[in-house]
Amino acid sequence: MIEQRIDIDALVVGAGIAGLQSALDLADRGYSVLLVEREASIGGKMIALSKVFPTMDCASCITTPRMSSAAHHDNITTWTYTDVDSITPDGAAFTAKLTRKARYVDEDLCIGCRLCEYACPVELPHEFEGNMGARRAAYIPFGTAIPQKALIDIDGCVYCGKCEKACPTDAIDFGQKPVSVTVHARSVVIATGFETTPLDAKKEYQGGVAANVISALDMERLLSPNGPYGRVLRPSDGKIPDNVAYVQCAGSRDETLGVPYCSRVCCMYAIKQTMLLSGSLPLADITVYYMDIRAFGKGYEQFYQTARSMGINFVKAKVARIEEEPNGDLKLRVEIIEEDGRVSEMAHDLVVLSVGLKPGDDPRRFIGVDLDQYGFVASPEPKLDATLTSMPGVAAAGTAIGPKDIVDSIMEASAAATKVATYLGPPPNSPQPADDGVQIDIREIEAGDALAVAGHSEVLRG
Amino acid sequence: MAVAIDPTLLPELQRYGAFDVAACFNCGNCTAVCPLTDDDATFPRRIIRYAQVGMKAELLASKELWTCYYCGECSETCPRQAEPGEFMAAARRYAIASYDKTRLARTMYLQPVIGTAIAVMLAAVFAMFMYVAHGPQDGSTLALFKFIPSELIHSLGLAIMIVVGLAGLAGIVTMARRIARSEGVGWGTVFGGRAALGRSARALWIALGIESLGQRRYRKDCESVQEPVAWYRRRWLLHALTMWGFLGLFGATIADYGLELLGTKATGTPVPIWYPVRLLGTVAGAMLIFGTTMLILNRLQQANRSVRKSQSADWTLLLLLWLTGMSGFVLELALYLPQAPTWGYWVFLFHVAIAMELVLLAPFMKLAHVVYRPVALFFYALKPSTSAG
Ligand SMILES: Cc1cc2nc3c(=O)[nH]c(=O)nc-3n(C[C@H](O)[C@H](O)[C@H](O)COP(=O)(O)OP(=O)(O)OC[C@H]3O[C@@H](n4cnc5c(N)ncnc54)[C@H](O)[C@@H]3O)c2cc1C
Ligand code: HEM
Ligand code: SF4
Ligand code: SF4
Ligand code: SF4
Ligand code: SF4
Repeated sequence: MIEQRIDIDALVVGAGIAGLQSALDLADRGYSVLLVEREASIGGKMIALSKVFPTMDCASCITTPRMSSAAHHDNITTWTYTDVDSITPDGAAFTAKLTRKARYVDEDLCIGCRLCEYACPVELPHEFEGNMGARRAAYIPFGTAIPQKALIDIDGCVYCGKCEKACPTDAIDFGQKPVSVTVHARSVVIATGFETTPLDAKKEYQGGVAANVISALDMERLLSPNGPYGRVLRPSDGKIPDNVAYVQCAGSRDETLGVPYCSRVCCMYAIKQTMLLSGSLPLADITVYYMDIRAFGKGYEQFYQTARSMGINFVKAKVARIEEEPNGDLKLRVEIIEEDGRVSEMAHDLVVLSVGLKPGDDPRRFIGVDLDQYGFVASPEPKLDATLTSMPGVAAAGTAIGPKDIVDSIMEASAAATKVATYLGPPPNSPQPADDGVQIDIREIEAGDALAVAGHSEVLRG
Repeated sequence: MAVAIDPTLLPELQRYGAFDVAACFNCGNCTAVCPLTDDDATFPRRIIRYAQVGMKAELLASKELWTCYYCGECSETCPRQAEPGEFMAAARRYAIASYDKTRLARTMYLQPVIGTAIAVMLAAVFAMFMYVAHGPQDGSTLALFKFIPSELIHSLGLAIMIVVGLAGLAGIVTMARRIARSEGVGWGTVFGGRAALGRSARALWIALGIESLGQRRYRKDCESVQEPVAWYRRRWLLHALTMWGFLGLFGATIADYGLELLGTKATGTPVPIWYPVRLLGTVAGAMLIFGTTMLILNRLQQANRSVRKSQSADWTLLLLLWLTGMSGFVLELALYLPQAPTWGYWVFLFHVAIAMELVLLAPFMKLAHVVYRPVALFFYALKPSTSAG
């Protein structure tokens, strides 16, 4: 293994929308940032979404600009396909050990022409498309991926060498080895994001068993203009669905799944998807089975009311069981609470599980911050200072702290950047005399101090 | 109609079982997973709602308490882990205690130590009573009814049956009146005219024949959600064996007495194994012993989710049934050994005392479900005026 060493002001772990925002805010203030992402592209979950509530902006249209500004920022070094092995305090700073995994493609040579992809004979399920489409073993992660650099899925590769022959720049390198890197960082931002609760978490729902029971993330892809089928079809037989059901709280608010909390975004994304669906499938009946609709943010309740007035059918009921019919249709067993309490079996031809949010990674694998009982990063001041962690110099942002939407993730990311900037003091290359050597524990900063520092950095930028 | 609210209902119910329906957020998952719920009897959420709100009269008038067979599927899947299945069991205990005007059932449930003491003492009193009256112990053959005169046993038995009959009847009437009122069933619905009589006869057959003796839904619907186990450990089978065994022994005892009244055969005369009454007794005894032994084992091992929580009342019933069966079996051995052992007399004394206690306490403990369930099932099978509901 080859070794590298670098020094930076802030190490941002995770390049979802939260990590991107923290990195951009810090870099704009003049700090040097290393943005590390374990996947082959930055962008996190947001880049996979179709449109976003409540503005209905196209997700890739608003995410890609952020992604490319981060990728091209002078003060940001972006490393994709990189694992964080450990981050340990080292005096007032941190020593981070990272592994840059082998892409089997030289990133400096690759020009993203995709000729390797066209030459590769292997077809594998496409993770980015919820395994609904196919990709090659030599591939660029997805259309809007950044960087547009290929990688080879070595487990799927049949070593035919066709990509190697096709590549115009000789970028393909089957001898590539993982590279270990030691980084000295003066601060850390944890933005490791979320994973959705597993589709098969609740066995009564037949997720992962019945083909037409899909997760909401799969539906985001079906609704995307560049999604796997280019339109909404149900997976089992490609039929255009005309009676779609949403099952709310399918992975949350359920002690039996170990997820008693509310995942906050699933009501809203379900409402969003039903609106998009009624656009793409104007004749379809759409029903949302919910326990409560949580529409707490600015403009969210109006968004919900709009969906109701569009004719989306909202039924207050917890789905207890889903059964698959031989033709792939599904029967949902519910108690009709708002009427006479009878138990009904509702027929649908496509069921979307509104899966919940759980931590995207276990940060304890690499850093000693405190977590809450569900594995999200815990702040010692959860009310007054949500982005704080138990370690001085380490902040957190976005869904790594707990379930939240994009608006809140971005605000938290900016807040975390501010905390880190305050902790670091003025950037090293700033023209102002810096308070070098003065290490401030961010937990001890008063609101007044923070304001003063914020004003200070405005002066620096201006 | 005004609804009376009793704020003490939930805390009171909580004393009868380990559930947490305060955590329940009324999602209805439990009702929808329940294999026994149906349009004419939806539970457990609606009954839980009665408890949360304090609708005591409605709760006690719910036939649904007894149409739940505690398969545990609702508890298993409840997103709040509120233990709705255990709630239903607790509500049944509470109902047994409420239908009993003597408050003995209440004491048995809520004060297990005193309850157990009462049970032990009662058995001791029966034993003492018979011991005081006992005659000689014949050393060559077990002349049981010389030792304790059969007239004594029969009169004592008769007295107990009368007490039990009255207490049981009082409970049944209380329960049936409440359910009838809430279901809108009157005398006319049951007896008024040929059609009504026909419907009632059919309901009686379903309640007693198909559901109670035949255990149809226990066998079919509950089994569909139960964890897979070896066939001889299925819940319904163990219960059926226990029930049939108990009824068989009861029948054999009565028949024996009947034969004596008819002058065919004096109680206690040795007969060959194929003699119908003895054959019935032996087979029924074997069923009861096997059934209760396995049920006790299931509870000890918490082998399925229906028996994960055990109250002293559950143990008392199983233990009494088991002791009755076992002592009867040992007695039979003693009787037909080539050389009659004298310990047989003491086993006999024990057996009679326990059996009498079991019958006497029936209306005041879990065994009361023997009549409450069929009554509720009768109303369920009537399916009255669904349109009016
Ligand atoms: C189906 C669905 C629809 C949604 N629709 C909307 C919507 O319409 N509007 C809205 O506001 N919100 C929506 N959301 C919520 C939204 O997706 C999140 O709020 C947002 O994506 C959170 O961003 P994040 O950066 O915190 O996490 P993520 O997007 O998960 O980013 C975390 C990144 O960190 C990386 N990472 C994790 N661990 C490591 C590690 N150890 N080392 C390196 N990298 C690591 C991950 O690979 C990932 O790229 C939706 C969510 C779902 C599930
Ligand atoms: C002579 C008659 C009966 C006897 C001796 C009897 C005995 C028992 C016993 C010992 C148990 C406890 C099982 C355990 O601990 O696991 C039990 C439970 C049960 N009985 Fe019976 N029973 C009789 C009649 C009936 C009838 C008529 C029904 C009607 C359907 C019934 C329904 C049930 C049900 C559903 C349970 C399980 C729920 C619970 O434990 O409360 N039983 N019975
Ligand atoms: S063919 Fe070569 S240059 Fe083109 S995408 Fe593949 S690796 Fe990159
Ligand atoms: S946001 Fe809605 S669907 Fe998601 S857990 Fe909360 S209540 Fe359930
Ligand atoms: S499943 Fe649980 S939370 Fe839901 S109504 Fe039943 S008892 Fe209440
Ligand atoms: S224990 Fe079984 S029968 Fe009773 S209410 Fe629950 S699911 Fe229904």
